[in-house]
Amino acid sequence: MDAITLTDVAKSYGPVRAVAPLDLTVPAGQALALLGPNGAGKSTTISMLLGLARPDSGRVAVFGDDPLTAVARGRVGAMLQDGALVEGLTVREVVGFVRGLYPEPLPLDEILATADLTEVAKRRADKLSGGQRQRVRFAMAIAGGPRLLVLDEPTAAMDVGSRRTFWTSMRAYAAGGRTILFATHYLEEADENADRIVVMARGGIVADGSGAEIKSRAGTRTVRFTLGDQPAAGLDRLPGVTGVEIRGTSAVLTSTDADATTAALYRTGLAVRDLEVRGAGLEAAFLDLTSPDHS
Amino acid sequence: MLAYLRLEIVRMFRDRRFTFFTLAVPVAFYLLWANVFDDGGRDPATGLDARTYLMVSMASFGAIGAALSSTGQRFAAERASGWLRQLRTTPLRPTAVVAARTVAAMVLALPAILLVSLVAVAFQGVRVDPLHWLAMVALMWLGALPFAALGILIGSLVGPDAAQPVTLGCYFALSIMGGLWMPTDRLPSGLRAIAGWTPSNRFGSLGWTLVSGHVPSATTGLVLAGWTAGLVGLAVPAYRRTMRAS
Repeated sequence: MDAITLTDVAKSYGPVRAVAPLDLTVPAGQALALLGPNGAGKSTTISMLLGLARPDSGRVAVFGDDPLTAVARGRVGAMLQDGALVEGLTVREVVGFVRGLYPEPLPLDEILATADLTEVAKRRADKLSGGQRQRVRFAMAIAGGPRLLVLDEPTAAMDVGSRRTFWTSMRAYAAGGRTILFATHYLEEADENADRIVVMARGGIVADGSGAEIKSRAGTRTVRFTLGDQPAAGLDRLPGVTGVEIRGTSAVLTSTDADATTAALYRTGLAVRDLEVRGAGLEAAFLDLTSPDHS
Repeated sequence: MLAYLRLEIVRMFRDRRFTFFTLAVPVAFYLLWANVFDDGGRDPATGLDARTYLMVSMASFGAIGAALSSTGQRFAAERASGWLRQLRTTPLRPTAVVAARTVAAMVLALPAILLVSLVAVAFQGVRVDPLHWLAMVALMWLGALPFAALGILIGSLVGPDAAQPVTLGCYFALSIMGGLWMPTDRLPSGLRAIAGWTPSNRFGSLGWTLVSGHVPSATTGLVLAGWTAGLVGLAVPAYRRTMRAS
């Protein structure tokens, strides 16, 4: 059975369209990353999956049920962006409490070990460091042994070391054949921890594929230099170049192979000054697909 | 729901400063009023002397305060912090959240009633029939329900910054209009006319009549039941709505 089925789902907040009509099917057991910039519609999509927001139109199903039913049956665990911890409880108490709400929870010690919290189990959860608190929230999300684990930018407040530990924990949990859906800004994070990456921008899906596929498409670079009053003709025929744009005295080339493009650029005989090579970034790499008129 | 209730009670009593103030304020006011207003007169309706009358007034004041303060602002803060939203992603139902919070608030109201009584007997020489007193405690404990529901309603509708002043405003208005600080016959006539319709006045009258050995009037029961039904009926959908809105 599919873990998640979104059929023609749309959601607006007032005049702002957060999610354009969207279709997405996630088979059970898949680890899927929702990748995209802020405002892409990732959190809204997640809210609808969890029953926290109701779509304006379309249908959301989680293991064949309405999201609220799936949540009530204990099939879903979530780590929300703003999910704060409550004051006055130890790590063990708060995780134990959440665990007790589910019909088939994991053993408490196993949860604490998976989330790397065994050593701080007796400390007050609200007095821990930022990274530790995130791990408590992860522990709460997996406590009930949910078949679907949803994580909304789980590593946003973590340092590099915490991130690594966190993803190790996440993969340990996913290894039990569970379905994972997480949102992130980072392509690397998505590539390393997901079987499949769905790129969102402006409320829609702009790419859907394996990490390798998405990476090659996101690998676009821009090559920028001062052209002055030299002619721009021929720049579009340089190797790798997919687009040429003149901005004032600068030329901006979009390239799938920046090395070949720059090497060829110096052989054109043009006086190349102020050369800059930059990653186009996810938004630039995928945005054109959502709005054909975007320059 | 029981696990959540237990969790809330543990949290409440661990917050020592909060518990201390909730319980200390009505006791302190009792000691103050009992010495200011004791003119040897008796309440015309119940025949209670001032110290006993004020014991019930301040037990009511304390119970309302406990029920409101353990819900309103705390609930609003947990809503803003995302904790209640996090709970919404677990199998715990919204009705169970509201029910557990209501009962937890009533659990804090009980020591407020007990403590004022204890101080009245120990330091102010108040003597009441133990059975009358037990009946008073039991029914006042139940009577705290609409105030707990009001607190949850405030916590569901108002942001965390505004929740405290709104809760305090409701608290003082209910206490004054209900005749808990001074008998309602000293209120301006406009207020006196509506005093009998306030849940706080009926809550106090529950205590005054029971402790004097009388049976509370049917009107008292009906007014309290009406407020309870109305406030619970508003609090549950208000809480559900806040979970959907964000």
